[in-house]
Order: sequence, then structure tokens, then C-alpha cells
Amino acid sequence: MQSKLSDIELIEQVLTGNQALYADLVKRHQRFVFTLALRFAKNREDAEEIAQDCFVKAYRSLSSFQQQSKFSTWLYSIVYTTSMTFLRKRRIDTDSIDDDDKFIQVENKPSAYDLYNVENKSRSFYLNQAIEQLLPDDAAIITLFYKGEQSLEEIGQALGMEANTVKVKLFRARQRLKEKLERNLKHEAKELI
Amino acid sequence: MNNIEETLWNYIDGSCTPAEQAAISKLIASDESYRLKYNELLALNQEFAAIELDEPPMAFTYNVIEAIRKEEALVPLKSTINKRIILGITIFFAVTLTLFLGYALFSMDWSAQKLPNIPANLSVDIKAPAISADAKKQVFEGFIFFDVILALYLLDKSLPRKISRNKTLSV
Repeated sequence: MQSKLSDIELIEQVLTGNQALYADLVKRHQRFVFTLALRFAKNREDAEEIAQDCFVKAYRSLSSFQQQSKFSTWLYSIVYTTSMTFLRKRRIDTDSIDDDDKFIQVENKPSAYDLYNVENKSRSFYLNQAIEQLLPDDAAIITLFYKGEQSLEEIGQALGMEANTVKVKLFRARQRLKEKLERNLKHEAKELI
Repeated sequence: MNNIEETLWNYIDGSCTPAEQAAISKLIASDESYRLKYNELLALNQEFAAIELDEPPMAFTYNVIEAIRKEEALVPLKSTINKRIILGITIFFAVTLTLFLGYALFSMDWSAQKLPNIPANLSVDIKAPAISADAKKQVFEGFIFFDVILALYLLDKSLPRKISRNKTLSV
């Protein structure tokens, strides 16, 4: 019965003292928040830490949620801010990451699993691999647009950008993703030959 | 080429005006290169939409709730005390003290004008402990030094806390 409650209804219940219901909100959004954090952190341990931190922060600030946007949009803005803070703390300069060098590094490390299962790899595997090779911002925009059920305006709200800027960034991110996907598939095809 | 792709992506996303939409539809129907590109981007769009979300560890929800519970347990007593209770206690003491003072003043005999007789030969000899001027100076300097260090320490502690609180509130 309670699982049918909307995000806003759950929040109202949590704010009136039924704090156990916050677990339902976490369960509902944890996969997306974790994936989004993973786009920035690039490893599962850090992504888990970021995602957990986001949910704790969201709980702490729940009473300040104005309900002018979707809860998910508000939550994703927390994920974005927390992830950026995490990257800054780790002194990772996202602008200076050499994308192509990273790509080559990934290319030169075929594991035993890769060699034996290359034929069985689905296109979604290559797609996920290509997303991992994108810059965090590009990967986040692609994920928000395709999996976050967010409009360009909502993505803009979450990332603190204008909708038009998001539109341009989304276009560029798609182009880069397409390039990476093609390169990865070409490389695997060569390996097969 | 980029321009064509951008236009077609806008068409696929439905983010162009109805007039643009109609114009692009015509182009796709009549222009072979547009149609090929459109089909390519449409396939890509479907592929991107099929991205799978990553699954967090099994105990993720439990860990979040546990982290919240721990954080709430760490909240200092000062912030958990109801301010109304503090205000009530303050008002009670203020009223009680005022009543006592009023009663004392009211019951005082203001007509007594003579001071009690003090014996003429009464001599009081109070001696302060002897402290040398050097020792006084050292104690004073030490006190000031300690105060400055304490003030800097408290400032250093409070500034990051204020900054992080402001950041969280602005989210």
C-alpha cells in the first residue's frame, strides 16, 4: 500500500515523523543516484560513498525542499553538487582528463574474460564501456536525459545550467558517445579478425 | 553535417517548433541523405535509451538509514532541547526574582535614617599577597597569548562549519 505513495506523499509522511518511510524513497531512487555518482567517481566504492552522502544530505534538508520541482530533480542536484565536491577534493581536474589517453589505456588492457567472451558481448556492454570513457559531465547529461526521466529544463535545474546550454551539451555528449562506441566496436572487430 | 545532426536530434527529441517539425519531416521524406542520417540517429537514440542502470550493493538502503540514525544520535544536546522550554524557565526565574525584589523593597522600612554606631577605634588591616611586577607582567602576557590562541582555534573550527552549512542550505 505504502509503496504506491508518490515521492511528495512519502516526504510529507517523513516530515510528520514517519521517518522509516525514508527507506522507501531511498529504495526508489538508489539505482539512479548510484549510477549518476558512478559517472563521476568512476569506481563503485566512491560512487557508493557519494550516493550514501547524497541521501543523508537530502534527509537533512528535506524540510527545505520547496516542492517547486520534482523530488528527483532536487535529489539529482544534490548528487551533482556532492559529486563535484568529491572530484574537487580528490583534486581531479575534470577538464584536464585526457579522454583519448584514457581510451588507449582501456584499449591496451584486454583481460582474459574479454578474449574468451568477445563474441558474446552485447552492444550494451560496449555502450556502457563507451559511457565510462566519457567525461563526467557528458556521461551525467546522457544518463539524466535517457534514464532520469528529466526534461532539458529539469536537467538544467539539477546541473545549475540553462536549458539551452544543456541542449548543446547533450548534442556534444551524444556525438562523443557515438564516436567512442564506434571506436570500441571497430577495435573489437579488429581483435576478432 | 553537424548542423543536420543537430536539427535531426532536435526533431527526435521533439524540442523544435511545430513549423520546424513539419519542415524536417518533409526533408526526411524527400532527401535521401536526411533519411539515412535520421534512421541512424533514431537507432542510436533507441540504443542510448536502453542503457542499464548500475545496481548499488545489497545493503545500500540499510547503510543510508544507519548513517542517518548515527548522525541523529550525534546531534548535540543543545540543538535537541526545545527552545520554548528554555524560554519558559527564563520567564519563571525572571518573574520569581522580580517578585522577590518587589516584596523586599515593599517590606523595607524606609523610615530608619540613623546609621548604626561604628566604633571610632576600629581599624581594618587587609594585606594583599605580594606579587612582583615581573611575575604580574608574565602572567598577563601568558593570559593574552592563551586568549589569542584560543580565539584563532575557535575561528578556524567555526569557519569551515559555517561554509559547509551554507552550502547544504543553498542546495
